[in-house]
Amino acid sequence: MEQMKYTFNVEKDDFVLAGQASSNIKKLLRQLGIDSGIIRRLAIATYEAEINIVIHSLGGCIELEIDPSYIRVIAADRGPGIEDIDLAMQEGYSTATDKAREMGFGAGMGLPNMKRNSDRFYVRSEKGKGTVITIEMALKAGA
Amino acid sequence: MENQYFHSVILKEDRCIGCTNCLKACPTEAIRVRDGKARIIGERCIDCGECIRLCPNKAKSAVTDSLDIIKRFKYTIAIPSMVLYGQFAGNVGINEMLTAIKRIGFDEVYEAALGIDIISNVISRHILKKPDIRKPLINATCPAILRLIQVRFPELIPNIIDIETPMEITARLAKQEAVRKTGLPMEEIGVIFISPCTARMTSIRNPLGIERSYMDGVVSMKTIYGEILRNLNNGPTENLVRGTKDALLWPIIGGQSVSLGIENYLAVDGIHEVIKVLEEIEMEKLEDLEFFEGMACIGGCVGGPLTLENPFIARSRIRSLAKGLPGNQPTDEAVAHQIRMYEDGFIRLTEKIEPKEITRLDEDIAKSIKKMEMIKEMMKYLPGIDCGVCGAPTCRAFAEDIVKGENQKAICIVKTMENLKNKKNAGNGKEGQNVNQGRE
Repeated sequence: MEQMKYTFNVEKDDFVLAGQASSNIKKLLRQLGIDSGIIRRLAIATYEAEINIVIHSLGGCIELEIDPSYIRVIAADRGPGIEDIDLAMQEGYSTATDKAREMGFGAGMGLPNMKRNSDRFYVRSEKGKGTVITIEMALKAGA
Repeated sequence: MENQYFHSVILKEDRCIGCTNCLKACPTEAIRVRDGKARIIGERCIDCGECIRLCPNKAKSAVTDSLDIIKRFKYTIAIPSMVLYGQFAGNVGINEMLTAIKRIGFDEVYEAALGIDIISNVISRHILKKPDIRKPLINATCPAILRLIQVRFPELIPNIIDIETPMEITARLAKQEAVRKTGLPMEEIGVIFISPCTARMTSIRNPLGIERSYMDGVVSMKTIYGEILRNLNNGPTENLVRGTKDALLWPIIGGQSVSLGIENYLAVDGIHEVIKVLEEIEMEKLEDLEFFEGMACIGGCVGGPLTLENPFIARSRIRSLAKGLPGNQPTDEAVAHQIRMYEDGFIRLTEKIEPKEITRLDEDIAKSIKKMEMIKEMMKYLPGIDCGVCGAPTCRAFAEDIVKGENQKAICIVKTMENLKNKKNAGNGKEGQNVNQGRE
């Protein structure tokens, strides 16, 4: 079975490189000939996940897994974790600092926006340890 | 049907020394140096003219028609781009320039401004008021940006305003009027555009969004400049100006947004900056944006590769000429007629713009994944300095070309030198560098 994996490191507070991983993922998927609508949704969701790592965590990585039937993005970070996932899933809820908000981040749309743009979406978080977000896109019907 | 890959941008082989300047600047990675000469990959080129502008040896050029084209028709109409107004020093008036063009041998001269005022009216009074439009609306007047969206931002194709370009609309109206006036069949009437733009030529031969262009030829502004100059002030001046103050500002970046009266707009010039902003729009990062005006050339069309004057000087001249013109104040009746022309499809983009996948590795996803793995593997061994000596713009492009089977003779000189050095060092009993340095 053809399958491939890519890993991108994401640093805490590195706003200069923030967005690099999702942008690279977008380019890779385009070369694979994935439907542009799927690419766009996945890139938007991945970008949100990437920015979350930059703003809220101590750093982490984004893993891209591609198979002819699905694409999976796993964004894992070390950090405080999400205390109340249900609350964080509500639109407008945010714990971003004033500094991040000034730069246009942290509008509290991160998790809901990720969910809206993915076919399957999972959040797992452990307080004091970190968060793992999984975004999946199906490539063929029934996959 | 013309060649699907017709391009106005071409290479003058004898002038090309095989340097890497164009290779690096091409926004779609459409150039490779092979056997010491730059080659343009037809499928990828969007005719933006970046390479023409920066080639130090002037080896990149554009195919345009010679002035002899006017001999092919019984009746000829010239449509000069308004960029022309910025090309002459001193106090040359618009009527003087238009009269000079006519004296070259054209039967009529129509300003492209005619089409601009129509587009302006239809967009602001009709299209913007439709409830189901996808925002931001993107202007389709820059043919290079249109093709850029087609190859790099397919998801934004529905945002493109489906109205024809100013020159095309002007050409259609001028031709119709000429048929009425002369009684000649349409084929005997030639409409020639005087262009600052390389991509315009391509859009006539190989149109996008319409079935067939009403323009019959494109003469480069550079080519016709001397003829106009010789014919200036060479007799009585006719009154030929029809354009408005607003229309004159269209070839200048920001001019469209202002004349459309849109508050939430973004006007970006220079193809590389346009790409960056389109990335943001594609990622839905620019909320509330209503209109995006993107121009491939610095300063807008005034910076076109077929112009002679510096774009900033040209802009200032056009602005001062615009001051003497009336504003665009059409009657309701005229606007209603223009909207009808749009709704009837006469001035509308009627053909679907299909996305073009130029970076795709293989038709089959499983095969693409396999090829991508090979690229990833190769990247571990390539130096990653993107020097361009191999003829590809980046190390990654080098690997992609090999995987796609497009470059059988590929050699990385940097890697070869490194290997040699290591061998030599090993021979001298010194410790060699790690040849297989991974980059990830």
